[in-house]
Amino acid sequence: MKENAPRRWRLAAALASVLAVGGVLAGCSSSSSSSSSPAGGAPATSSGAPATSAPAAGGGGSSDTSACGSKPGVAATGTPINLGTINTQQPGTDFTDIANMAQAYFTCVNANGGVNGHPIKYSIQTEKTDPAQIASDAKQLVQGNHVVGIVGNTSILECTINHKYWESLGFYVIDSGIAPECWSTPNTAAVNMGPRYSSDGAVQYMISLKVDKIAFDQSNVPGTDYIAAGPKAIAAAANVPIQTFTTNVPIQSANSVALQLVQAAGKNGAVVLNFTPPEALKILQAAAKLHIQNNVKAWGCSTPCDTDFLASALGTAFDNKLFVNAELTPADGTNTPTMNLYRAILKQYGSNVSGGIGSFSQFGFVEARLAVQALSTVQGDYTVASVNAAFKALKDVPTGMNCGKFTYGDYPMHIPNNADYMVTPTKGQMLIVPGSGCLQISTADPQIAQYVNLAGRAPADTTSLGS
Amino acid sequence: MPSWSELQPFIVSGLALGGVYALSGVGLVVLYRATGVLYLAFGAVGAMGALIAYSLISAGAPGWAGWIVCVLFGGVLTLAYGVVFGPPLAGRDPLVKAVATLGLTLVLFGAMDLLWTSSGGQARSISLPTDNGGFSIAQIQVTWTQVLGLGLGVVLTVGTGAFLRYTSLGTAMRAMANDREITATLGVPVRRVEAAAWFGAGVLGGLAGLLLADLVALDATTLTFLVISSLAAALIGQLRSIPVTFAAALVIGLVHDLLTPITQLTDYRDMTPFVLAAIALLWVSRQGTVMSRSREEA
Amino acid sequence: MVQTTAAQKTAPAPARQGWAALRRRDTITRLSVITALLAFTLFGLPQILSQYYTDAMTQVAAYAIVALGLGMLVGRVGLYSLGQVAVLAIGAWAGARLLFATGQPFPVVLVEAGLITMLLGTLIGLPALRLRGLYFALITLMLSGAITVVLATVNFPNGGGGFTGYNGGSLHIPAIRRPSIAGGDVAYFRYAVVVAIIMFVLVYAHIKTRPGRAWAAIRQSEPAALAAGINITFYKIWAFALASFITGVAGGVLAGADRFLYSIDFHPQDSISLLAVVLMGGVYSMYGAVIAALLNSLLPAALQNWGVSQDWLTILFGIGVLQVLTTAPAGLVDQFPRDMKRLGGLIMRLVRRPAARAPAASAPPGTSGTSGTSGTSGASGAARGGKS
Repeated sequence: MKENAPRRWRLAAALASVLAVGGVLAGCSSSSSSSSSPAGGAPATSSGAPATSAPAAGGGGSSDTSACGSKPGVAATGTPINLGTINTQQPGTDFTDIANMAQAYFTCVNANGGVNGHPIKYSIQTEKTDPAQIASDAKQLVQGNHVVGIVGNTSILECTINHKYWESLGFYVIDSGIAPECWSTPNTAAVNMGPRYSSDGAVQYMISLKVDKIAFDQSNVPGTDYIAAGPKAIAAAANVPIQTFTTNVPIQSANSVALQLVQAAGKNGAVVLNFTPPEALKILQAAAKLHIQNNVKAWGCSTPCDTDFLASALGTAFDNKLFVNAELTPADGTNTPTMNLYRAILKQYGSNVSGGIGSFSQFGFVEARLAVQALSTVQGDYTVASVNAAFKALKDVPTGMNCGKFTYGDYPMHIPNNADYMVTPTKGQMLIVPGSGCLQISTADPQIAQYVNLAGRAPADTTSLGS
Repeated sequence: MPSWSELQPFIVSGLALGGVYALSGVGLVVLYRATGVLYLAFGAVGAMGALIAYSLISAGAPGWAGWIVCVLFGGVLTLAYGVVFGPPLAGRDPLVKAVATLGLTLVLFGAMDLLWTSSGGQARSISLPTDNGGFSIAQIQVTWTQVLGLGLGVVLTVGTGAFLRYTSLGTAMRAMANDREITATLGVPVRRVEAAAWFGAGVLGGLAGLLLADLVALDATTLTFLVISSLAAALIGQLRSIPVTFAAALVIGLVHDLLTPITQLTDYRDMTPFVLAAIALLWVSRQGTVMSRSREEA
Repeated sequence: MVQTTAAQKTAPAPARQGWAALRRRDTITRLSVITALLAFTLFGLPQILSQYYTDAMTQVAAYAIVALGLGMLVGRVGLYSLGQVAVLAIGAWAGARLLFATGQPFPVVLVEAGLITMLLGTLIGLPALRLRGLYFALITLMLSGAITVVLATVNFPNGGGGFTGYNGGSLHIPAIRRPSIAGGDVAYFRYAVVVAIIMFVLVYAHIKTRPGRAWAAIRQSEPAALAAGINITFYKIWAFALASFITGVAGGVLAGADRFLYSIDFHPQDSISLLAVVLMGGVYSMYGAVIAALLNSLLPAALQNWGVSQDWLTILFGIGVLQVLTTAPAGLVDQFPRDMKRLGGLIMRLVRRPAARAPAASAPPGTSGTSGTSGTSGASGAARGGKS
């Protein structure tokens, strides 16, 4: 019996694996329709928004994509310009939406005249928060894909691992960063603020609400002390006591985390969270279910909470209670030309941007747009030297999505995005806090002070809100 | 050191967490006793069921339809696994059977991340009507879902104990989990009993998945690997005693949450299930009982 | 498998001599093939491969050592450890700490990392070794869960001071140093391969001598081993200590390869996929460890480069585990050549068939012969584990 069994069961196993794969494929088709439904739901709700808040005519998606290029409708046929990016992609942490949106923008540019007739070829490398993989991804982009510019990097560790490598080769990276080195080195400039300065913004807003204590909690990932240093400095400057926590993710006991934070903050205090959307959602939902969300004066959150998924999952429990620092112009209820172009490109070319409208794809849009603008100024050949000189030369460029204009420049450190917005969940959407404008991150954070000393505050970008 | 009034809410939340661990811990033990397989894919099956329910509900299906699909998905998938992989592994060591279910866990985990990506900051949640009501203890709200979770743990503990002991199907399951061949020679319809055990196991997994998705989070990674923490309770119950597993789960939840407000220990609180399980295992192995008994691989 | 050994013992003397001669010639060919392969790996591969794949192969070298340790525990002693990634993390932590704190030569650090890991691994594993089978696997999973929490709180050294060497506020984290003779990526790849070879020889030496025989006896039957006067606990600890030592050395190699270490890179669930690839590679042969490492480290790099989601890999590993456990306990290392041989036979038959229909009558014995060997594969694989 033992002799035949293996053969029989090999067949069975093969069959089972075929079934399993088949099941996966079947599931794939069913879920692509379901996962697109929240994304599809977003434009529908935002087209309902103009009635309440946005003054401009025309709902999302009505704009023409041809505005992305110089020669509408003419496909670029010249020698391609190679650009590349490295993005984290692992279960629970997936930043490929940024690269995919940048790709969508480049596709749009290529279909509308390219950059001086040259199409952009974009190579996307992913990594699983693995230092060795991140280092070899960079080499693959340079040696294998022959890239002349790096645009769109978004990774928990990439800046730490590769900044020396980019420096040695003369690359000036345009990215959306997370690691400390994304803001403290000469060769990286981020369009986002990252965990520290966005948490700064949230804490600053809490202080403006006159809270008497702050409990700041973040996920236990590399660089927690670096991140906490910002909020601590801001709170200290305002004489508000702050208590900092770290929590291991994924959280299994969100109830106790919520209780701990609410107790620490106290009746007139505020809780500020710095987590990925699913983890932040766990804590906020736990607070709502325990009915303790009103036991503190306010809740704050860094940028990741700025997603409609979170707003709709929370229902009305946190309306005017939760305030989220948003690094870019919130997509809901904003109908500027830039926003309409973004929505149109997303619709026409962004089929693999799985999260749809949201801050991640906005980052990709801004980064790609900055790159194209820089590339169009290059005279002669597109080499590493000429392209990166153009990146570095970007100065006071309105991105249409940042409070301030974007400047790269020749500095030992870069925090080009140091003013942003506050949003709050309102009927399942994240809308700008009524009456609030741009929030400048305080120079009480020594890093911000150092940067402002070097480069000054960026001039305001009046196109970003369209008002 | 927090004061007593500050600790009180953590007792309530600790019991709720214990209820979560109990639900999957007791589930694991029930399955182990009925099928002889430590079904480590328990969490993954429930997670996938809950995600399917989420997709159906957000596509416009009524809630109850989603819940039924979730529970049925657990049952059917587990039954399929049992039918395909049960017999070829029947004579093998319990360890090999457990590792095989890790294979299923990997398949489901990969599939879930592929189908319900977290890119673009997608956060999902599932909400049961029992979330809306509840009562208040120690200044915090206890939802009916939490009560339901704990209640299901109690029902499972009492119900499955009685079922396995007093019904003929339960007796057959226990016999089969012990020795399949001998049970077959006694005239028990092994295949049918086995199918019933697997299907029941899967239904339980789906049900637990639905509740845990509400109580913990609707997140593939969290729910899949929640099994590791719940396993601690099952191990303290020596994969055999359902009441001990239930009690152990409550203790783990309580200790974990009571450590949360204690500044010196709060960073290490997530070690609770592992440390308690290790201590229990080692203490029991010192007594030289069942723990070190393991069937030789033929 | 007991019969196999018995049959060998009772084989007539002349036949045994013939066997020995055959085996000697076999050994010589095998040695020369291995030498050629290693020479190619060290000198040929870096010439062909891009830097991207050279880096991936450095990872393969490090993980081949880890897989060797786990494969040895599973295949030789029957201990399924679900905590090897935690052991690897201890080695990497110790290696990184020593590399930051001291100017000691790299090989010395590797040995020290190995010894520290061996000490800690054995201390932690000692009580666990009282348990068997399923319970041993589960307690290693529990312990690795606990170690992961500690590491997440303590963090990996990043050039800071104090015992932990961690500075969470650092704005510029320095890279972990590499040996002076192997600072570049290609040189470090060769360095890692040489370390891996030494570890393989170390384990080979154990398997071929007294401990190997003791492990084989324990794996077949503990009561029988006990009756034969083998100190079971001692040899189990020995196996666990050896596996911890080489895994610790691998951790040191990994520290130099990665140059930056984070606790989030050592998940308890990685131990599960590590067990999956080790089972898929094959636990009864040392080649299995190399295949496991290729599956673990090269395949993801390749898929990533081709733009295929890593989730497919997770699914593949899951299917692989199920397939190995149900049909091919000896793993790919055993199954692949057999499948190739059968494929070859199939092609040969297809080629021959149209040419000569007449000898078709002689075909059935041939086919039944091949299927016979595949049918007993499980037993032969297990036997090889026992034979060592």
